[in-house]
Amino acid sequence: MSEVILQVRDLSVRYGGVLALSSVSFDVADGQIVGLIGPNGAGKTTCIDALSGFTTPSARNPSFSYISFLGRSIDRLSPQSRVRLGFARTFQSLELFDDLTVRDNLRVAAATPTWISTVTDALWPKRKVDAAVDEVLELLGLDSFAEDRPEHLSNGQRHLVAVGRALVGRPRLLLLDEPAAGLNPSETVELSKLLRSLPDRGVSVLLVDHDMSLVLGVCDQVHVLDFGSIIASGTPEQIRSDPLVISAYLGQGSSGVDEPVVGGGSDS
Amino acid sequence: MIGEYSGFILAGLGGGAVVAALALGLVLTNRATGVINFAFGAMGMYVAFAYFQFRDNGDLILPVIFVPSRIHLLETPTLFTALLMAVFLSAALGAATYWLVFRPLRRAPALASVVASLGLMLYLQEVVRLNFPTGSAATVVRMGVLPERPVRFLGTAVTANRLLLVVFVVLATVALTALFRYTKFGLQTRAAAGSQKGAMLVGISPDRIGLINSMIATVIAGIAVILIEPISGLDPITTSLLVLPALAAALLGGLSSFTIATCAGLGIGMLQSLILGYTVKPSTSWIPDWVPRTGLQQAVPVILVLIALVWRGDALPDRAYLVDKRLPSSPTPRHVALWTLLLVGATSVALLGFDAPHRQALIVTMVSALLALSIVVITGYVGQISLAQLAFAGVAGFTVINVANDGLPFPLAALVATLVATAVGVVVALPAARVRGMSLAIATLAMAVALEQLVLSSKGFSGGVAGRSAPRPVLFGADFGISARGADNFRPIFGFLVLGVLTVSCLMVANLRRNRTGLRWLAVRSNERAAAAAGINVARSKIGAFAVSSCIAGLAGVLLAYSTSTLSTNSFMVIGALVALALTYLGGIASIGGALIAGLLAQAGLFTLVANGGTDGKAGTYVFAISGLGLIVMAIFAPDGITGAVRQGAQRLQMSLRMSGQPPQQTALAGSGPGAGSGLGAGAGPAEGEPDHE
Repeated sequence: MSEVILQVRDLSVRYGGVLALSSVSFDVADGQIVGLIGPNGAGKTTCIDALSGFTTPSARNPSFSYISFLGRSIDRLSPQSRVRLGFARTFQSLELFDDLTVRDNLRVAAATPTWISTVTDALWPKRKVDAAVDEVLELLGLDSFAEDRPEHLSNGQRHLVAVGRALVGRPRLLLLDEPAAGLNPSETVELSKLLRSLPDRGVSVLLVDHDMSLVLGVCDQVHVLDFGSIIASGTPEQIRSDPLVISAYLGQGSSGVDEPVVGGGSDS
Repeated sequence: MIGEYSGFILAGLGGGAVVAALALGLVLTNRATGVINFAFGAMGMYVAFAYFQFRDNGDLILPVIFVPSRIHLLETPTLFTALLMAVFLSAALGAATYWLVFRPLRRAPALASVVASLGLMLYLQEVVRLNFPTGSAATVVRMGVLPERPVRFLGTAVTANRLLLVVFVVLATVALTALFRYTKFGLQTRAAAGSQKGAMLVGISPDRIGLINSMIATVIAGIAVILIEPISGLDPITTSLLVLPALAAALLGGLSSFTIATCAGLGIGMLQSLILGYTVKPSTSWIPDWVPRTGLQQAVPVILVLIALVWRGDALPDRAYLVDKRLPSSPTPRHVALWTLLLVGATSVALLGFDAPHRQALIVTMVSALLALSIVVITGYVGQISLAQLAFAGVAGFTVINVANDGLPFPLAALVATLVATAVGVVVALPAARVRGMSLAIATLAMAVALEQLVLSSKGFSGGVAGRSAPRPVLFGADFGISARGADNFRPIFGFLVLGVLTVSCLMVANLRRNRTGLRWLAVRSNERAAAAAGINVARSKIGAFAVSSCIAGLAGVLLAYSTSTLSTNSFMVIGALVALALTYLGGIASIGGALIAGLLAQAGLFTLVANGGTDGKAGTYVFAISGLGLIVMAIFAPDGITGAVRQGAQRLQMSLRMSGQPPQQTALAGSGPGAGSGLGAGAGPAEGEPDHE
């Protein structure tokens, strides 16, 4: 396989007395789509928060690299520095900038400022045309809504704006937190087409979702989280037939855990 | 030796007790309604004024304007009836403020409740100033409640009322703690604070909880301010600002612990008194002369507030932080060239055509608009409530006078002063980047008080009460000075200088808003987590915005210094900063046009001049009280301010015109009133109202 761009080793997160994530390890290789599934409260969003710098991991051995991206440790980097390295994410609740138009939602993420840019922005009256923004708007079919505010869009379009905002900085790795939550079936199909096209554009994906058919349909590799630990890893075929996964997540079978899981719920 | 100061420490118990009582009330309202009420000191202040009036002659004076406020209730009021009246009055005041002001704002952004409580504070201060008689003839005899005879306590003489005040506060603390811990009502309050929705589901009415707690809190505040009067006096402004040390104490208790808040309040009072005792000693020579002694005393709670805030602060809000509240909308500036041409043209004509009083009002308007513009940048665009903008202006104003008097020529002196203000702004921003919302408003208010008390009141810097004068600004031999004899005073050429600075500042802010810097600011305002996920360095964005806005405030300060014959510290008092924020909010806090309207509305600006002309000067009397009321109303009903209301009106007009199937240009010509608004409604400027003056 191609080179590993994200390497996660022994990542743990503790909220008070609760171990939300316990010694999680996995890799994402260049051009791969990796899925992370698990029932509510399994630690999926916590994992994305820890990877993107929004949550501090509990074990912090300074000489150990818990999260390595493109060959360097990013444990101590702020969220925005990780973004600049090519590490974009979306949020389960989208968190779009409601005051800004769709185009401006993307423009704001398109380029990193320098200390001089405040001065040049003050002196320069014209808006600069941004090729990257137009390209992503076109890719996602959002060009005709570019001047609308997110609140005027459909739920599916809002999800696309969130993905677009993450894509516009040309990331190497995209972390998607429940991108299909609340989408209707045809929108989900469109989304999986989009996701499958991303590796060709040089973007690897870490996908967290409830929607089993989406995750198993688009991912090359799937990890199953339960109570903060990875209980199974493998290709979608292997996951489908894994007895542990079936009892913990799919809710079928013999064990006492009976938890039918459907998409759209909220993670803790 | 501590022994020789023990008298001062014990004397501070009185002041400490009132701080503790206000802190208790703040904690109580915060726990019940999640609101920090800046007007809390002012509410206690009004109750105390009403009490002493009633005790004196049986008149109850209501906090109203325009209608008769005086009701004669009793011929011979007694201590008991007066206290009873005070309890009922403060409970009614607490109920009214909760029901009319804070309940409608439960789901509003922090800015709205800060603005509304500032409006309430301003209103109460003005109502007391207007309704309660002052001057030697009408002075009310303030009969104290508690005995003032000295008693010996721990081997030191102290007046009995101080000790009794402490007893009152301690009893209140114990009662509140017990109420919250052991009663069903306390449990319900805690439940409602945890989740209003959840509380409603189990049948608890958050409105009833908020109402009752607000009444209890106001009674405690009212009684405490009444009891402290013989010790600390009673004054509309200083008593209202007791809320600041009270906030410090409440924050040290995490805005939730009654016991810690009370202890902290008592401690702050004793510490202030100790500093007072220490600084008045002639033997205290190590404090440099330029440090104002009273300032040092005021600065202590401020430093405590800052430590508490920064210590509790966090760089990014966590997942539980809800940001679904609507902020004032900030439209992209449109038709900038057209607006610039129109407004600069109209102002130039006005500067050349107006007589001296109108020229003066126009210059005041422009300088005030510049200050408002700095608030638009930091509070409107970035969502950071800053109450320190006027203090930045003050720093720049006195700096320019000092360096100019030292011989630095005009444009250089102005540049240096603006840079100094910018630097001070960045220093204030460093801790501010760690706190947000209400906490930031408190932090910047604390900074403003610190700057006022320690820097702006310093004799060496500002000349103290007498003030200082700037030399005339001369550039390439041309005299830009404002003053001249007789009808030539308020020279147009100075007006053009101000117009130039204002125009360039507005254009630069418009550019920033339309470019990525402005988008980043709005992104930070809208959602800090998402902004960080979009690669924005949130802290650096905030600090950059503070730099830009304090630079603009500094320019306003420089122009103010050159436009007055003597610049004094009075121009930069904290109350002025509250008014400036209020007027900017009224105008429209997130648009450049809002800043211009705020300038028009400013005290001694064009609007008051015109309004005074039409009402024989009555409008000027009521301007603060009305703007206080207007602020509350705007915060609740029209968070986008006057520009927002005009914009919405214009949009609605356009819509209805389109609905009726007529081309918009034709109907605009057909004479629908605010026609100017319909064509340019999407822009940010003032669409109507003052075409002759601006």
